[in-house]
Amino acid sequence: MAELMLREAILQTLFAEMERDENVVVLGEDIVGGMGTEGGPEAIGGIWGTSTGLYDKFGGDRVIDTPISESAIIGAAGGLGLTGKRPVAEIMFADFLGVCMDQIWNQMAKFRYMFGGKTECPAVVRMIYGAGLNAAAQHSQAPHGILTSMPGLKIVMPSTPADAKGLLTTAIRDQDPVIFLEHKALYAEKGEVPEGEYTIPFGHARLAHAGEDVTIVAAGLMVKFATKAAQGLAEQGIGCDVIDLRTTSPLDEEAILDSVENTGRLVVVDESPPRCGLATDIVSLVTNKAYASLKAPPEMVTSPHTPVPFARELEKAYLPSPGKIADAVQRTLAWK
Amino acid sequence: MKNIKAFTMPKWGIEMQEGTISEWVVKEGQSFKKGEIIALIETDKISNEVEAEFDGVLRKIVTPSGQTEPVGALLGVFGDTDVPDGEIETFAQSFEAADTGTAVGRNSDSAAPAPVETSVAEAPAPSAPAISDTSFDNLNISPKARELAIELQVDATQISGSGRNGRITYQDVHQASRPDAAVDLGGALPVPADDESIFASPLAKRLAAMNGIDLKGVTGAGARGRSRKEDVLALLPDAGARPQASLAENADNTPQIVEMDKIRKVIAKRLTEAKSTIPHFYIRSDFDVENLLEFRRIGNKVLSTKASLNDYLVKAVGRALVEHPDVNVQVHDDKIHYYPHANVGVAIAAKSGLITPVVKNVDLMDISDISRATTQLIKKANTGKLGFADLEGGTLTISNLGMMGVDQFDAIINPPQGSILAIGGISRVMTEMEDGSGEFRSKLSVAMSCDHRAIDGAAGAKFMATLKSMIEDPELFF
Repeated sequence: MAELMLREAILQTLFAEMERDENVVVLGEDIVGGMGTEGGPEAIGGIWGTSTGLYDKFGGDRVIDTPISESAIIGAAGGLGLTGKRPVAEIMFADFLGVCMDQIWNQMAKFRYMFGGKTECPAVVRMIYGAGLNAAAQHSQAPHGILTSMPGLKIVMPSTPADAKGLLTTAIRDQDPVIFLEHKALYAEKGEVPEGEYTIPFGHARLAHAGEDVTIVAAGLMVKFATKAAQGLAEQGIGCDVIDLRTTSPLDEEAILDSVENTGRLVVVDESPPRCGLATDIVSLVTNKAYASLKAPPEMVTSPHTPVPFARELEKAYLPSPGKIADAVQRTLAWK
Repeated sequence: MKNIKAFTMPKWGIEMQEGTISEWVVKEGQSFKKGEIIALIETDKISNEVEAEFDGVLRKIVTPSGQTEPVGALLGVFGDTDVPDGEIETFAQSFEAADTGTAVGRNSDSAAPAPVETSVAEAPAPSAPAISDTSFDNLNISPKARELAIELQVDATQISGSGRNGRITYQDVHQASRPDAAVDLGGALPVPADDESIFASPLAKRLAAMNGIDLKGVTGAGARGRSRKEDVLALLPDAGARPQASLAENADNTPQIVEMDKIRKVIAKRLTEAKSTIPHFYIRSDFDVENLLEFRRIGNKVLSTKASLNDYLVKAVGRALVEHPDVNVQVHDDKIHYYPHANVGVAIAAKSGLITPVVKNVDLMDISDISRATTQLIKKANTGKLGFADLEGGTLTISNLGMMGVDQFDAIINPPQGSILAIGGISRVMTEMEDGSGEFRSKLSVAMSCDHRAIDGAAGAKFMATLKSMIEDPELFF
């Protein structure tokens, strides 16, 4: 076990997988990070530091700096996947999803189906997402809801360094396109990471905190907030199950339903705005399949239906927080 | 071998030891569908229908009608038509009834053996409470769903799960345990389909249609000339009164015909039987409850309980019953069962219908015990969790409609109980006091229906007198 930051866990995993399988290729904007250099030791490895040293070790054929065209990055990744490589593409800000939407939604997600199941596209698209770092409306969004609604894609949202390693390993070895969402506010998050290689299967949620009274469902950064809320509530004698979804597609339905059947109360935390998103999706699942167990209306803690604000104070007020989550838990307990 | 199943004597309630087949509805060799009645079985307390839990064929009747058998005994054998007679015979011969000495069922955590699990039987027999911890070992079912299935004795193997990959959820078991839904449908409205050539609010269109007003070409007072309710009302010759009259004329009042659900049918059957076979006679009296109301207020404070007036009545009735053993009875044909302690039924208007669970040994309980017990029973009644044990053993039921603003009423005896008390509302009545002065006092109207086969008029009257004295002088009694 070593204590690593989440960004270090990602880099280690990329390193290990590239070493294990020469078909693994990484590509993206400035991932060599060698602006003004020949690459090599001076290269910083991208603005996120998740590809530092890869160029030095694996060379320009497998660590590819691309032009500033997300459509080209994903198109190339899709093509590499179809022809037997295991590309790991990086979209520096998930907000740029819009300009490569055709490649993701209409091409990558559909290949297996359009070719009658005769082809596979084992591509991974790493996207750096999320608010909290004062990056304003065009560099702070959490598009997991849009992506989860697309059949043909698997959507991963790690919340700890250990999970990031296990899930990224699974993603790279998976035979289908995987969108791997890394929250920029979690990059410096530290945690114990087991040595050696291991995989975490998709569709298996993690119980981040256990309790008998209320079920809190969250993903990505929201798991951290939900766990913090649950720890505070535990001191008041209120027990919360915090379910870290890990993957929003496939969804671990059993973990959610089993927990709600036990607690009868549900709070879903989602970083995205409330309409047609992950929170509404989980609430709908639970009201449909666990109606008989509910003791209170399900609560949603989400951002408001507005773009992410730039001002620090507003951004703080915009995001769900441990306090808002605890309030929602209290509302479900106060239901008469 | 696969499709042979045993049909055994079911166990209804922990006191049931044996039962009698009163009628085989399905004959030997006949096939039946899931939900059809296979046989009627009588116990010393109830007569009940046994429903098929699956489609099948009754290959052999082992126990003929009229014969009494212990719980768990083989009554018949189900099997597919292609199973040879010889195998059916061998199965019937080699069948061994499971030990039913201990109660199997509600909240039983022990892995009680299913009465019908023999070398050939693969599924539990219908109605036999054989659902135990091990029943769902290979089933895709959530932990809470499994718990509920064991508690309610639901055979979850028959449920098609709504979860992913057919996983059975708590909700699936809950639904399987409930009676069929009786939805009060509103139906389609007698209003013409939306006419886009009219620019009006939906309500305005509806009012116009009901009153035969053509809104074409009408410019309303709403935004961009939209017609609103007010515009339509203004077009009526007699604005205001008209729409209501027309609504009444046009309203569709065809009755909606709904099949009684199972619980309703049982209520109907039992009450018809009671009212037509039991010779009822009635004793009525008004009790002065002025003192009891005050006593309850203070008593509840002292005991820190929230006992209802009804709980106090249950207590008094329990004591009075023990003092009058000739009223504390059940009537079973030509036998009278005298009870040493008082089991008092409480009529509850549950969501699913009238139900009368029994508070046991009331004479030995204090008022806070009774309050707890009745609260528990009401909760169970509303969640459909009452077991047979909760419903049996009573000698008198208290039916209270006072809170509905009823002055007084008569009730039908709940057999085999000997009597029933109908409690009306409390009214303020000017009463002559001992010193000749007049005073408004709270009076409670009570009517007792007695089964004359066991209880004579004098016995009933004496019981009422005791009850009245207890209620009117609570400090001496409680």
